[in-house]
Amino acid sequence: MKTLDPRMKLFFVIVITTLALLFSHPLWMLCLSVTALLIGFFMGADFNVFFRKLIRFTKVLFIIAAVQIIFVRTGDALVVIDGFALVYYDGLMRGLNTAMRYFVILYSAAVMAGENSRRVIASLTQMKVPYMFAFMVMITLRFLPIYAESFSDAMTSIQLRGVELKKVRFGRKIRLYGHLLLPVVADSIAKSQDLSAAMEARGFGAKKTRTAYHVIEMRKSDFLFFVVFSLLSAGAIAGYYLLQ
Amino acid sequence: MPETAIRLKDAIFTYPQSGFKVICEDLSLNTDETALVTGKNGSGKTTLLKLCCGILRPESGTLFIFGEDANKQSLGKIGQNVGYLFQEPSRQLFAATVWDEMTFIGGILGEDPEAIKERAESLLRRFNMLDMRERSVYRLSRGEKQRLAIAAILMRKIRYLILDEPTTGLDGENKKALIEVIESLQNDGIGIAIISHDRGIINCCGQKRIHVEGGRVVQ
Repeated sequence: MKTLDPRMKLFFVIVITTLALLFSHPLWMLCLSVTALLIGFFMGADFNVFFRKLIRFTKVLFIIAAVQIIFVRTGDALVVIDGFALVYYDGLMRGLNTAMRYFVILYSAAVMAGENSRRVIASLTQMKVPYMFAFMVMITLRFLPIYAESFSDAMTSIQLRGVELKKVRFGRKIRLYGHLLLPVVADSIAKSQDLSAAMEARGFGAKKTRTAYHVIEMRKSDFLFFVVFSLLSAGAIAGYYLLQ
Repeated sequence: MPETAIRLKDAIFTYPQSGFKVICEDLSLNTDETALVTGKNGSGKTTLLKLCCGILRPESGTLFIFGEDANKQSLGKIGQNVGYLFQEPSRQLFAATVWDEMTFIGGILGEDPEAIKERAESLLRRFNMLDMRERSVYRLSRGEKQRLAIAAILMRKIRYLILDEPTTGLDGENKKALIEVIESLQNDGIGIAIISHDRGIINCCGQKRIHVEGGRVVQ
């Protein structure tokens, strides 16, 4: 499955994220998460990179779940302190569901991130997506780590100018973060100008269509995956609505 | 009084993805000397100096900055004594104009506005940039950005400054101006560590040579 056509991986990502948005029961969401993890693993998703990135989002996932748990106040009361119901059944279920939903969406992005960018561009252009658009998508994805590095450098250098972030008052901290965005945005504008000039100098965009050195063709295994995964997904949707 | 600004001992740092290691057995950097760091591209020079000021934290070993264990200090605390100039100065300029760049950190730290103004004016005068105070930071040349970044670092009364390849992309005139700045900092008693292969820099700053080869420090 590692060598599946990128279009099939894209199909997998679209279906999995759609199901994640559709399902609103934690049990179904759990089944979806496990299925996505398994299929993604066979597709070659890099678990190490994914879980390292997931750790950064843990706080956000936790806050999202906590907000649902605290503010959804229907169903049976599960945790009661001094007569005050803190956690309700529906709140807990919705909190778990939402956290898993974000998990699935993040994971499906990791599946695409593990794919070779040249293959993705080739497959998108073969799907008649204008190649300029395909390049823009891939370059955006490639640039994300560079933005992160630029932001981290700015953060480091502002601290090395004697700013102890923990000691800065909240209002001033907001002002400080505003300043941090300036070098990141300026840096990215400068980089994108350089990149577009370099690409135009190499003839990018001179003609509306372009030939491809690598042509990606759908194989039997791709068609098989498409049929099996479509049937499974259709079955899951039907089962979900029938059992509601 | 000269003192040991940075002492890095038995430090090992490994890049998780490439596995490249930078190993430093014992390195002392003093306030009364200028250390020149040389080595091939990718040999670990920048990593070594980032370790020296706590930007990167070693997996093992110790780092003392002005006698205090750096592991117990935040980067902000270290920055009150040690400054770092990145290879790309644009990444450390945060404000819209030259004047704002000099003064905004003081404002955030809640310092006396008169004192901030006085110090900013004096530094801009010293770096021949006072007449550019209203200029947009993004309209400055690379050499001017380098000088502004150093001036902004000096708004804190640091005692040690690390410069990562400051002459990259500078023409002869700008290099000369930068060397003058470095010499004036030396006269002020600020210790300097500098990564460079530039002959002018080597001639003026070669009091102590540190060579990095394949991630190992060869003094």
